[in-house]
Amino acid sequence: MEEKSKKKFLERETTRREFLKLTGKGFGGAVISMSILSMLGCESQQTVAYALPSGLLLADASRCTGCQRCEISCTSIHDEKIQPFISRIKVSENYNFGNEGPRLDYYRQNGQFGNLSMSPETCKQCREPYCGRACPAGAIFADPKQGNARVVDTSKCVGCGACEEACPWHLPTIDPETKKSTKCEACGFCAENCPTGALRMIPWEDVKKAMRRNGYRFS
Amino acid sequence: MAVSYGWAGKILRVNLSNGRITTEDTNKYKDYIGGMGIGYKVLFDEVPVGTHPHDANNKIVFGTGPLTGSGAPCSSRTNVTSLFPTNPKHMVADSHMGGNFAASMKYAGYDAIIVEGKARGPVWLRIEDDKVSIEDASKMWGQGIYNTTALVASEMGKEASIAAIGQAGENLVNLSVIMNGYSHSAGGHGSILGAKKLKAIGIIGTGSLKIAGKAKDLLDTNSYMLKELIGANNNHVVPSTPQPWAEFDSKGSRWTAQKGLYWGAAEPPVETGEIPPGDITTVGLRTQKGVKDLGPVAEKYTKRMGGCQSCPIRCFSQLEIPQLEKFGVSRFVSNTCMGYSAPNGVMIKGTVDQFEKDDGTFISKTLGSQLADDYGVWCNYGMLGREFKYIYESGKLKEVLSEEEYNSIPFELLEAGDPAFLKDFYRRITFKEGEFSHLGDGTYWIAQRWDLGDDFWHGKAQKIWSPLGYPVHHSNESGAQVGALISCMFNRDSQSHTHQNLIQSGLPADILREVSAEIWGSEEAFDFPAKYTPMNEYKAKFAKWSIIRNVLHDSLTVCNWMWPMMVSPVKARNYRGDTALESKYMSLVTGENYTEESLDLAAERVFTLHRALTVKQMGTLDMRNEHDVIMDWVYDMDPEMEPFTEGTVKMEREDMQTALTMFYEEMGWDKKTGAPTKDTLNRLGLDFAARELESMNLLP
Repeated sequence: MEEKSKKKFLERETTRREFLKLTGKGFGGAVISMSILSMLGCESQQTVAYALPSGLLLADASRCTGCQRCEISCTSIHDEKIQPFISRIKVSENYNFGNEGPRLDYYRQNGQFGNLSMSPETCKQCREPYCGRACPAGAIFADPKQGNARVVDTSKCVGCGACEEACPWHLPTIDPETKKSTKCEACGFCAENCPTGALRMIPWEDVKKAMRRNGYRFS
Repeated sequence: MAVSYGWAGKILRVNLSNGRITTEDTNKYKDYIGGMGIGYKVLFDEVPVGTHPHDANNKIVFGTGPLTGSGAPCSSRTNVTSLFPTNPKHMVADSHMGGNFAASMKYAGYDAIIVEGKARGPVWLRIEDDKVSIEDASKMWGQGIYNTTALVASEMGKEASIAAIGQAGENLVNLSVIMNGYSHSAGGHGSILGAKKLKAIGIIGTGSLKIAGKAKDLLDTNSYMLKELIGANNNHVVPSTPQPWAEFDSKGSRWTAQKGLYWGAAEPPVETGEIPPGDITTVGLRTQKGVKDLGPVAEKYTKRMGGCQSCPIRCFSQLEIPQLEKFGVSRFVSNTCMGYSAPNGVMIKGTVDQFEKDDGTFISKTLGSQLADDYGVWCNYGMLGREFKYIYESGKLKEVLSEEEYNSIPFELLEAGDPAFLKDFYRRITFKEGEFSHLGDGTYWIAQRWDLGDDFWHGKAQKIWSPLGYPVHHSNESGAQVGALISCMFNRDSQSHTHQNLIQSGLPADILREVSAEIWGSEEAFDFPAKYTPMNEYKAKFAKWSIIRNVLHDSLTVCNWMWPMMVSPVKARNYRGDTALESKYMSLVTGENYTEESLDLAAERVFTLHRALTVKQMGTLDMRNEHDVIMDWVYDMDPEMEPFTEGTVKMEREDMQTALTMFYEEMGWDKKTGAPTKDTLNRLGLDFAARELESMNLLP
């Protein structure tokens, strides 16, 4: 497991950096740029295989206090157990050292051991979802019952982890207990249970407008 | 393996002498619930009387319970149990830390971690679910807690929860901590890890906590608690200022949210505002702890609040203070309560303004917090500063230090109110530099070493509560005999907050007396503040209940700085809380039928085991005269006033003996000595303790 998780980690970092290099932007807690949004297909009006989602979960890093009640709420309602590792919103894994992990100057970087900024990561419900496109089993689909959020059909999921690897933020997670992928269905339950109102469901169309509002970040 | 609900089902045992790593079934500890209960049982069974805390034979238990990590609000508390270095007889005691560590233990699959033996060289413990290894820590040894945490994370991955000691723990300073999450510290046990050469424990848990009941019911219970029961920090249920929604307000309340009060350094600033109960998404805004702990100057430096996994009450202020870099520490500070006020207590001549008006103590508190937390120095709940004040002002320091050492200490900084003094102060203690550093030994040991007499022990200014060398902690000033009794019962400063939460809840005393009558049978249990009455049986019940719930919470584990839910901020509930909430959670999570009574009984078992262990370790039955003893100042303060007259919190000697008798009776302990009787031990299923004490001639 040690080697596997180490490898997974290296791969993760590589994927993220490659992705950022394409955009020419560093990440470092800055508000996500419009060019990144374009890359995600948010700008494009072309015909796509996935129906447009209606809603999107946004995290306001300036209000996030790292209590992780979102992760608790998420896995309680979706998985009938408490398991932050598979939460569809990620707070705890970035708690101490931000999403980049510990660096030499960790005391200035995101995280509790750094600049005290939390790095909540939420699913962008991409127009052309990397996770869905990568899935060899076609298990990730736009679910009309969830406002066309990109949802895992667990009966089809083979637990290969391709979705997790493909996602630039590595948000889908394979549950080590069920071997099935877990990803955000934009249900908004975490937002209803955030004690500082740091999470909000917004209409998907409004994403750019929302991004411009001060303090709203895709971390 | 059968599915385990609530409990992870396994206990991890690590022997650092021979490198053996084993697991055992949690089932055998279930009667003790978890956390503190497991800790006392292990210490009773496995650590011989007379063991020095720093010996290989001492063990340290990191305990969680069935509710830890369950998502029940305020449920990520680690209870640490081991022999206590500052205690004169090294008796058992607990220290506690919040943060993420306890929840991570559960998700990795462990209810407790027992560390025994002693490594030959510095090591750290790596836990990734069921993969556990002892790793070389030579690169970390000598580092502060912050760097150590970063080094462990760089090995394990960013998601690891990490508990570590600083240089103070390594150097076997009695006053040292174990810390996780930048500022969540378990005070007084750091040197146990130092002696074992265990620098840190890192945990990644990818597993789940399974619940027996329906998740929907658990979520409904969370919602019920957050909408109807919970208040602000310490479960203060009224705001600190008059607000349109609130019938009552109370200046001292930690519900400091109000119009125009912000997390001022957030981008953009976040207004706390006037926020009536009932809305889950504003609960975390209620406590602006920065201004509460640090004064109004803190508002503009407050980035946000913070705290523990699962807790909606954010009682740690998180600040960015660029000026701190001038002292060579990080500009980012996180702490709460004593973590801030203890270092300020070292600045016995006050602190002059540093960078702006009225920022003196603000800078001392935040700078000192950074220094103490990275070194991992504990304050013995504020004693450190008061002891320094005593030896400095009495001239004792000049007497016991060589002239050369005395002159090397920059007292000119202290006299000038310059917080840079703190850098020198904490460094000397951490690295055991010179005679001065014995301040880090703790109250009893410095009194022995420096021959400090009655005016030290019994002087009001020192606030020493017990000859065991620990101070007041919500004692006589909190509920008269109730707080006084509670403060007598442990082997360190009492960690019980139950009574304090109720008394300080902010509701009018009339309502609190009604609530008291409902819980303990008579409103006489509750004295109006500083309008004390002589002892009565209801106060004994109040004291017992407070301790039992504290012990229950440290076994479940949930935070006794919030629980139990005795009152509510909701007027429609007539401000009544729900004291059965722990049992509702337990039944839902474990699938076993728990009632308020059955949990209280289990906690009584745990607390009586603590008492039995104390008798065993002290080697005497006479708890009344050897253990449950209070310093004279508590009886002799306000000499011009009689006890039980309005305006004084002084106690009366005979009345306090009556209080002890009544308390012993409530506990089923021997009325004369305060030692647990054979009948009581057997009634609680502690037959093994009865047999052992009998064999030692320690049964009344």
